[in-house]
Amino acid sequence: MLDLGSGRPKLEVQEAGAGPSLFFLHGAGGVAWDGALGLLAKHFHVYAPSLPGFGKSPSEGLELIEDALELWQLGFDVMEALGLEKPLLVGESFGGWIAAEMAALRPKEVGKLALLAPVGLWRDESPVVDLFGLTIGELLPFLFHDMKSAAARNMSQLTTLMSDKDDRTQAQIDQLIAIFLGFRTAAKFLFPVPDTGLERRLWRIRVPTLVLWGAQDRLIAPSYAELIAKRVRNAQVVTIERCGHLSMAEQPEATAKEIQRFAGI
Amino acid sequence: MKFTWFHLMPYRWLPADFRERYHSVWVDLPNGIYDPEKGHDLYNEYLDMLEYAEQCGFDAIAVNEHHQNAYGMMPSPNIMAATLARRTSKAMLLVLGNSIVCYNPPTRIAEEFAMLDVISGGRLIAGFPVGTSMDINYCAGQNPATVRDKYREGHELIVKAWKTREPFAFNGKYTKLRYVNLWPRPIQQPHPPVWIPGLGSIETWDFCAQHDYNYSYLSFSGYKRARNMMNGYWERRTALGADDNPHSAAFFQQVCISETDAQCEKEWWPHVDYFFNKCLHLYPGTSEAPGYRSEASLRAGIVAQFGNTTQNMGIDKTWKQLVNEGYILAGSPETVRQQIEELGKTLRVGHVLLGCQIGSAPAELVNRATKLAGDQILPKLRHLYSDYEDRWWPKALPASRRAKPGAHNPVSAGVGP
Repeated sequence: MLDLGSGRPKLEVQEAGAGPSLFFLHGAGGVAWDGALGLLAKHFHVYAPSLPGFGKSPSEGLELIEDALELWQLGFDVMEALGLEKPLLVGESFGGWIAAEMAALRPKEVGKLALLAPVGLWRDESPVVDLFGLTIGELLPFLFHDMKSAAARNMSQLTTLMSDKDDRTQAQIDQLIAIFLGFRTAAKFLFPVPDTGLERRLWRIRVPTLVLWGAQDRLIAPSYAELIAKRVRNAQVVTIERCGHLSMAEQPEATAKEIQRFAGI
Repeated sequence: MKFTWFHLMPYRWLPADFRERYHSVWVDLPNGIYDPEKGHDLYNEYLDMLEYAEQCGFDAIAVNEHHQNAYGMMPSPNIMAATLARRTSKAMLLVLGNSIVCYNPPTRIAEEFAMLDVISGGRLIAGFPVGTSMDINYCAGQNPATVRDKYREGHELIVKAWKTREPFAFNGKYTKLRYVNLWPRPIQQPHPPVWIPGLGSIETWDFCAQHDYNYSYLSFSGYKRARNMMNGYWERRTALGADDNPHSAAFFQQVCISETDAQCEKEWWPHVDYFFNKCLHLYPGTSEAPGYRSEASLRAGIVAQFGNTTQNMGIDKTWKQLVNEGYILAGSPETVRQQIEELGKTLRVGHVLLGCQIGSAPAELVNRATKLAGDQILPKLRHLYSDYEDRWWPKALPASRRAKPGAHNPVSAGVGP
C-alpha cells in the first residue's frame, strides 16, 4: 500500500515484470493482469496503481481528491513516490483520460503516451454510452465486440451477482460492493456526461502518442480516435479489428504488440 | 395522532400495455405520451382533492417532489404549495420537497419556503429530502459521489439564512455567497419545522436526531413491512440519547376507503392495479447511481435494493396479497381505522401521512374516501399520543391575525364598484 502522507489517499500499487517503466492507469473495471497487462509485463516493469475504491485501495481516499486537477496531480505524486522518470504512460478508458490530462499538464514528465479508447470527449452526434445508467448485463454488449469471446464470457459471470433472490454468498456481495465503489470513483469525475474538457487541452500534449481503439467499440465510437489525433501534434492512430471497448481484455496479444511496437521494444 | 392528506399526483392515462412498451415510469419515459390539456384538468382536480381534505378535517395536506416521473407530477412542490396556501386557511402545508442539491444557490429554497410560510401565515412544514437517485442524479445530473456532502452544506446554509438577522458571507465548497440576507424571512421562529423523508438509512436517522427533525418514512410497501425499519429508528434514537416522542416520526400509508368492505375491492382495484403495476414500473439501470449510498448503507440494504425488488414493490400482486401484506389499508372506515391504529401503535408514529388517492383513482371516489376518513376515522384516533408534545408542528399565526385572501380585491370582497 503506497502511503503518500497524512491527508492523502492510500493506494495499492501492483508491480510486475522487468524492463523499461510502464505506468498503467486502469479503467472503470480496475486493474486486471489476465489480458494485455500480463503480456506487457514480459517486456516492461509495469506499475499499476489502483485509484480509491478500486482493488485494495480504500474508497475513503476519494474524499481526499477534491476535483479533476487533484486527480491528475495524484498521478504524478504516485510516479514520484515510485521513482519513475518519464515512463511510458498507458491509460485505458477512464485511466486513458487521466493519462492524457497528465501529459497535457506536465508534458516534460511523460516519456511516451498510449491512450486506449480514452473517455473525456463528447460529440452530440456520437454520444458516449451512459456507463452509469445500465445494468451490468446491458452494459456488457457495449464493452465487447464478441460476446462469445473468453473475456466477455468471463465478465458475464458478474451478471449472476444481480439476483432476484437473497441467495448471494458473502464473496459475491463483496464483489458487487467492489464494483459499485469503483464506479463511484469513476462517477465522481465522469457523471453525468463524460465531457471533461480534455479536448481544449489536447494541444498541450507534445510526447509521441499512440491512440488505440477497438474497431467495434460501441461504448465510445472509434471516430473519437481521429478527433484526438487531429489535436495531438505527435499522434498515431491504431485500430484493432474484431475488438470492442476493452481492447486489453478482448484482443490482448494485438493490443500488447501495438504498445510494444510504439515503445520501440 | 395527526393526519396528513398526501398526494403523489400520478398521471392517469398510461396505456394498457405500458409495461411492455416502456422501459420505466421515471427518468426516460418520453413526454410525448403526456397530454398537457388532460394535465390541466388533472392538476386542478388533484388540487381540489387536497383543498377538500382540509374541509374534511385533515390536519395537514402534503405535496412532494419528483422529476421526469409519471406517477409524481410535481417537479416543483413549491408551486403546488403556493396555490394551496391561498386556497386553504386551516390545514398545515407539508412540503416534502425540496431536494436541496438540485437548487443553485440553495438560498432559493430558503427564500421560497420563507415566502410560503409568510403567505400561509406560518402553516409551513419544510421538507428536505436528499431526493431519490432517479431524481437528483439521473434527472438533475447531480454527482452521486458528492451529493451527500453537498446536501449537508446546503442544509447548513438554508438554516443559517433563516436564523440570521444580519447579512453574512457563506464560504462553502459547493456554494460561495458574499451576501446572504434573506428577504422575506419566515414567520415561524427560528424557522418552520423540518421533516426529512427517508427510506431507512441510518445516516438520515442520525441527521434527524442531531437537528431534532421529524423523520418521515415514505414507503409504498405498507406498515407491516416497515416494522423492522422503524424499530431500528427507535433503537437508534435511544442509542443517541434522543427521546421517544412519537411525533418525531411520520409514516406514509396508502389507503382505500369505501362505505363497506364488500364494495372496496370493486371500486378501488383498477386504481390500485394501475399504481402498483404501472406507476411502479421502474428500470433497474437508473435506480441508483454509484455513490448515491454509502458503503455501509449499501451493505445493509443490498438485498432490498438488488434482490426481491419487484416483489417488495408490490408489482404483480393480487388485491388480497396487497391488503393482507399491508401495502394498502382497504375497507370500510372502521376496518381502515383499526389498521391505522395498529400502524400507529406498532410503528410508534405520531404522524400518519395518508395516501388517499391512489393510481388512477378519480375525484368522486377519492373525495368520498376523504369524507369518510374525516368523519369516521380521524376523530377516533386523534387521542393517540396526544399526551406528547409535538415539537414538529407549525406554530401558525392565530386565526385572528391571518390575512384573508381576496379581502383587498373589491370584487371578491363584495365591496367593489
